[in-house]
Amino acid sequence: MILDAHGHLGPWPDFLIPDQSADGMVALMDGLGIDAIGISHLLAVGPDAAEGNRQAFAAAERHPGRFGVWQVYNPHQRNRLTDRGVWGVKVHPDVHQCRLDDRRYDPVWELGLPVLAHGQTDSPWSDPEQFVTVARRHPGVPLLLGHAGLWPYGFARAAELIREHPNVSLEICGSKMTGRWIARLAAQVGADRIVYGSDSCFLDLRIGFGRVALAPLDDADRALIQGGNLARVLGMTRSIDGDTTEGRLP
Amino acid sequence: MPEFVVDAHRLIGPVPFDDLPEDPRPEMDRLGVHQAYVTHTLALYSDVRAGNEALLHLGDPRLVPVPVLLPESFEPVPDWDVPMVRICPARHRFELTGPTALRWLAALGVTAAVDLDETSPGQLLALARELPEQRILLLNPGYRRLRAIGELMAAIPNLWLEIGTVNTQRGVEWLAGHYGAERLVFGTGAPVMDDCGPRFLLDHLDLPEADVALIASGGSLL
Repeated sequence: MILDAHGHLGPWPDFLIPDQSADGMVALMDGLGIDAIGISHLLAVGPDAAEGNRQAFAAAERHPGRFGVWQVYNPHQRNRLTDRGVWGVKVHPDVHQCRLDDRRYDPVWELGLPVLAHGQTDSPWSDPEQFVTVARRHPGVPLLLGHAGLWPYGFARAAELIREHPNVSLEICGSKMTGRWIARLAAQVGADRIVYGSDSCFLDLRIGFGRVALAPLDDADRALIQGGNLARVLGMTRSIDGDTTEGRLP
Repeated sequence: MPEFVVDAHRLIGPVPFDDLPEDPRPEMDRLGVHQAYVTHTLALYSDVRAGNEALLHLGDPRLVPVPVLLPESFEPVPDWDVPMVRICPARHRFELTGPTALRWLAALGVTAAVDLDETSPGQLLALARELPEQRILLLNPGYRRLRAIGELMAAIPNLWLEIGTVNTQRGVEWLAGHYGAERLVFGTGAPVMDDCGPRFLLDHLDLPEADVALIASGGSLL
């Protein structure tokens, strides 16, 4: 099963995205054999978490089994979260200008579902060190460190920081990531700690997927990164009503 | 899948900030890249002359030398027999449209490759006005400035675009639809930049096979 941990729909203000659509995403997924992608709507990442989340759920309904929803939590808007029918929660401390370890994000951790967070080395909002702080406070919450810290000079440090925190994985999308770095990170902390994501439609799905497909990895490690690890992460948590996220996988 | 793949933007040699393969050929073999236009890292990160000398002694037909051109007002124009030179106006602190650069580029008459971060749309427009026959390969255009890139493609007929960093959803198809696949050139910037994703994209572009083959082999530029 191939699962993409990091996807988006919709427009983003500072550059042109030629294809922002759910239909376009599914067409590309079909061509690549990607079973499902976790999405947050960029409107939700930006100024309207509730409406953006509604649009993400609507897209998931139109394409059953192809989109897992990362519902965005905005600590300023304090929007309601659900533990049903989602992969988990997406937070973007840099856009929200709220540190990942700020207590205003506590409702996210208290939900207990997997969390995908933007991670950016040396950012005052989302430096990988803050993931360690959160992981210590909430060792039962699966946490994906988005972009593995984003900047190549920080990849190895991010991997070292999460080594002793098994609930944290490195999610590897980003325009500065390389196939070589994916292999190096897998060698450093183990392929079972690396999770494929593409950042599509923000970035091109084919480039993110292809980076893993052609990275110098053996087949077993590649399979873990392309979906095995995320399937395990999504299966780790059990929502309050006993409905497992694993049951929501296609 | 394209039969002949040329990477128009590749480095050879060590870099000071990472542990990367110095020889591009093993990775080219692994990824199915048949030829690469290469610049020596010494010419970018140390001594331009030493880097260019090392490059011009490679003697491998798979590696097409792209020496770095550093215009010096009191030196003669190099007599290189190369199809392309690379210019780094920001790194080497010279004016892209200064009198020496213009004189050297006009005398050489070969394609000039320049990284978008080394220049600006305004400078490129000025260069095209001063030397309308000058062929320009814009490296690392990225994905956040497609609107500005589009303007440049429309305004400068002799501008080609390296696609390795055109990384937003269907960005390459968008460019091909508006400006023609012949204006697009496969390149990666490896090993500093990624070659796996762009190489994979080449095999999965939603374009006619002939257009993909054209992009893979250097558009109408190489």
